[in-house]
Amino acid sequence: MAHYATDEPIYALATPYSPSALAVIRASGEGVLSLLSSRFSSKLEGRASGSAVHGFLKDGNGGLIDEVMVIRYDHGHGYTGEEAFEIMCHGSLPVIRMISKMLEELGIREAERGEFTYRAFMHGRMDLTEAEAVEEIVSAKTERAGRDALSRLTGAIRAEADKAKNEILDILASLEVQLDYGEDDVPEDWIFPHEKVDRIKNRLSMIASTYSSSRLYSHGASVVLIGRTNAGKSSLYNTILKENRAIVSDEEGTTRDYIESDAVIDGIPVRLFDTAGIREAEGSVEREGIRRSRDLMKDADLIVYVLDGDETDDYPVSDNAIHVRSKKDITGNQDYLSFSSITGDGIDEVIKAIKEKLVSSDAALSSVPHIDSERQLEALEETVEALEDAEKALPMGEDVVAMYFQSALSSLSALTGEVTNDDVLERLFSSFCLGK
Amino acid sequence: MDYDAIVIGGGHAGIEACLALSREGFETLLVTQSLDTIGRMSCNPSIGGLAKGNLVREIDALGGEMAHLIDSTMIQYRILNRRRGPAVQAPRAQADKFSYSRKAKETLEKQSHLHLFMDTVTDFIVEDGECRGVVTERGWRISSSVVVLTTGTFMDGRIFIGEYDASAGRLGENAAIGLGDSLRRLGFHTGRMKTGTPARVLLSSLDLEEMEIQEGDKEEPFSFDNDAVSRPSLPCYVTYTNEETHRIIRENISRSPLYGGKIVGKGPRYCPSIEDKVVRFPDRERHQIFVEPEGLGSEEMYLNGLSSSLPEDVQRAFIHSIPGLRHAEVMRPAYAVEYDYLDPLDLYPTLESKILPSLFIAGQTNGTSGYEEAAAQGLMAGINAAERLKGNKGIVLSRTEAYIGVLIDDLVTKGTKEPYRMFTSRAEYRLSLRHDTADERLTPIGIKIGLAAKDKAERFERKRRELDEVVSILKHKRCGGKSAYDRLKEPGQDIRELGIAELADYPEGVLSRVELDIRYSGYLLRQEREAEKTRREENMAIPADFDYDSIDGISSESREKLKAVRPLSLGQAMRISGVRVSDIAVLAVAIRSGRG
Repeated sequence: MAHYATDEPIYALATPYSPSALAVIRASGEGVLSLLSSRFSSKLEGRASGSAVHGFLKDGNGGLIDEVMVIRYDHGHGYTGEEAFEIMCHGSLPVIRMISKMLEELGIREAERGEFTYRAFMHGRMDLTEAEAVEEIVSAKTERAGRDALSRLTGAIRAEADKAKNEILDILASLEVQLDYGEDDVPEDWIFPHEKVDRIKNRLSMIASTYSSSRLYSHGASVVLIGRTNAGKSSLYNTILKENRAIVSDEEGTTRDYIESDAVIDGIPVRLFDTAGIREAEGSVEREGIRRSRDLMKDADLIVYVLDGDETDDYPVSDNAIHVRSKKDITGNQDYLSFSSITGDGIDEVIKAIKEKLVSSDAALSSVPHIDSERQLEALEETVEALEDAEKALPMGEDVVAMYFQSALSSLSALTGEVTNDDVLERLFSSFCLGK
Repeated sequence: MDYDAIVIGGGHAGIEACLALSREGFETLLVTQSLDTIGRMSCNPSIGGLAKGNLVREIDALGGEMAHLIDSTMIQYRILNRRRGPAVQAPRAQADKFSYSRKAKETLEKQSHLHLFMDTVTDFIVEDGECRGVVTERGWRISSSVVVLTTGTFMDGRIFIGEYDASAGRLGENAAIGLGDSLRRLGFHTGRMKTGTPARVLLSSLDLEEMEIQEGDKEEPFSFDNDAVSRPSLPCYVTYTNEETHRIIRENISRSPLYGGKIVGKGPRYCPSIEDKVVRFPDRERHQIFVEPEGLGSEEMYLNGLSSSLPEDVQRAFIHSIPGLRHAEVMRPAYAVEYDYLDPLDLYPTLESKILPSLFIAGQTNGTSGYEEAAAQGLMAGINAAERLKGNKGIVLSRTEAYIGVLIDDLVTKGTKEPYRMFTSRAEYRLSLRHDTADERLTPIGIKIGLAAKDKAERFERKRRELDEVVSILKHKRCGGKSAYDRLKEPGQDIRELGIAELADYPEGVLSRVELDIRYSGYLLRQEREAEKTRREENMAIPADFDYDSIDGISSESREKLKAVRPLSLGQAMRISGVRVSDIAVLAVAIRSGRG
């Protein structure tokens, strides 16, 4: 309930999260239109409520995200009755992800389940009969959402979250006992438990970072092929797709500088990008193409550098890149993963290498349980941030420090269920000898 | 009607209730078992303390009396938690308990529209389902439009000292018998609670040189109406229990009525008896004891930390094992008291009874502990009884604006299983509830309802002007490359050390207020945003007679809980433990669409 009943701007994907021709993302809350206008190429002001505006969405650096239609709703209109908009974008997973990221950068948070409907109720957007009809659905839905939130937690992560909660509760109780009993009763000074807090922070951060790898399975990964024209990129692209193409309609990228397609590699949904060659910057059109390729590389989960059989390799080495050579049938360089698009030799090895690279971060994180939702990630990140703020607030006074520990607990509550002030007092009473 | 209002009980809750009613012009009768015990401090001879000090200042800001009483009778003043941040700092004063009580009685006697009468109330007059007066032990039937009940620990009170037990509200004072039965007959839910008090010893029998001396700070007023107070300052003494003390207690534990099963009532975990501390924390080598004066010119000393219900010979033995107290002459023994309390879930947030309309209930009767908690409820019960007489809806303070709001909301929404004491950690928005901002938060309400006197309102307006002026000076003066205002955001920056001459004209209270407001502005803003959400939920009112059976979508478990508590706002409904989120959503729709 903590997040409900506010008018904080929220967004949600209104269509299923899967590759399709079109996706709809909607956002609601006071001021969302002016927030969006900074990232939208066309003017939204002055348009009538309900009108659709064509334009381009840009990321924080001005890079193009997608060509979209935006429908604006003024206060009192639309589904929730709040100021709102709907974005109709291309239904590619990376595009949806980029738009979500952009909205979060603007301060619009992902909605809880049922929250749009809840707001619609709160603003009287439904008449009596409608409300009665939806009532049942919503109550069933919010209840299920509650269950989902809990059942989504595997035993392991639940245990981790509870452990962190208990540790923070202990720290908070040891602080609160000082604040609530004063120097007379508890004369010892409270000492910030840096080591303990660091341990909790590290653990939670580690769990948070599993999101990027477990996300691969649910949300997919983007794999970008980079290489000179004729280096063998396109044949690799086509060969991978030949065996692994996802069953969706193919569609061109939003610009003509690269081709993208969905594949499934060993269960991981992969968005595969074949880019414009990166080295032949002749005319302005090509230069633009290169710029886009670089943008793609920045957001890529994996970059595959494709080298011609005997080309000198001066591509950068990084954690999320592999280097492969084509024309195995002709040159056969032993030091490289090589493949031949003609004989098909080596293709399986390349695909295997792609998969291994994608999930390799898993190996390092195998000691902690994995999370698989944006909300869990958010909860963990907020908790870590609050713990950092608590440390920073030390010069301000212990009352402010306590406030941040409390926020850490309430952020964790998304994973563990509500933590109330009564829990803190309960802990305090049971652990300390109190009272004069 | 004989009176507009009758207040039962002359303790800390009763005092505030009858003053609020009579000051608003209603003919009010205070009925008390003894005119000699008005405003008596049954336990600690002190007012204030952490969170409680905030309550006292909030009571004062609304137009209550407690701060005036302690300002004129304090014998030691201290600010607690000076090092731990302004939000958790609070004033506490030792009181001369004899003059405190006397001053309270004088204040009531001088109050116009207020009448005092000594008798014991045994029953209520009920007409058309509403409370319309009281019936007394000596047979009086006195009618009124509203009644405020503040019986403290007296309802079927029973005290325990080892094997000895007797019917009493305080040692040597009769319990109020009969009222509990009348209330049960009317359908009230009662329970038993327990509290305790330590022994009092003779000052001249103590070895003072064996104890640490604890002096007070420079005294400051609790009341926003006073610029300064000048009172004598007596020292307190600190000593410690030891292995021998604990051995004596352990060996005699079976003689404690608490452990022998004679006492069924639940005692407070935060203020345990010494035997509780010894049993529950066997590893502790010593416990701290404060020896506090009970009044000017009195030899009685209060042994803070030694509350007990062990037999008197055991009490003497363990007291004499403690340095400083080896020769102590015990004047009054420690004892436990068990009493009836009324389930506060039977109350609306206005403190009006759901079972018997026009009856308001406040103080320890509602399961709280402490003079300040009692007074805060007494004041709100008095204010709301007056609002009811005026035909108004009632004043409910929000959790976001006052500890009083937290206190009453906790009681009427969650109930309580042990004597409820205020803690700062019960408040979600602690930073916004500093004791020095109580006037800013609540005096406008006191003025609006007509309880804050004219000069209080004028003082408040003047202070507000001064605050504005100081802020504007700070914004215009530059100080080390930035405005003095921004300068003050740095931790440890003192407003008096900025070298701004104009500020010298302003009172200390105004300067320190501005300094803290500025230093904490970032954090306050953060809390304010949170508080805003809570306020919005509070603003969605639910009618008291809302028909929960008329909505289908609510689970039966939540329905029962909602029907039991009858929340007056969506916010309150959300805080009832065990009510489901989905049911709140459904409830919100139903309220919106005006059903129920």
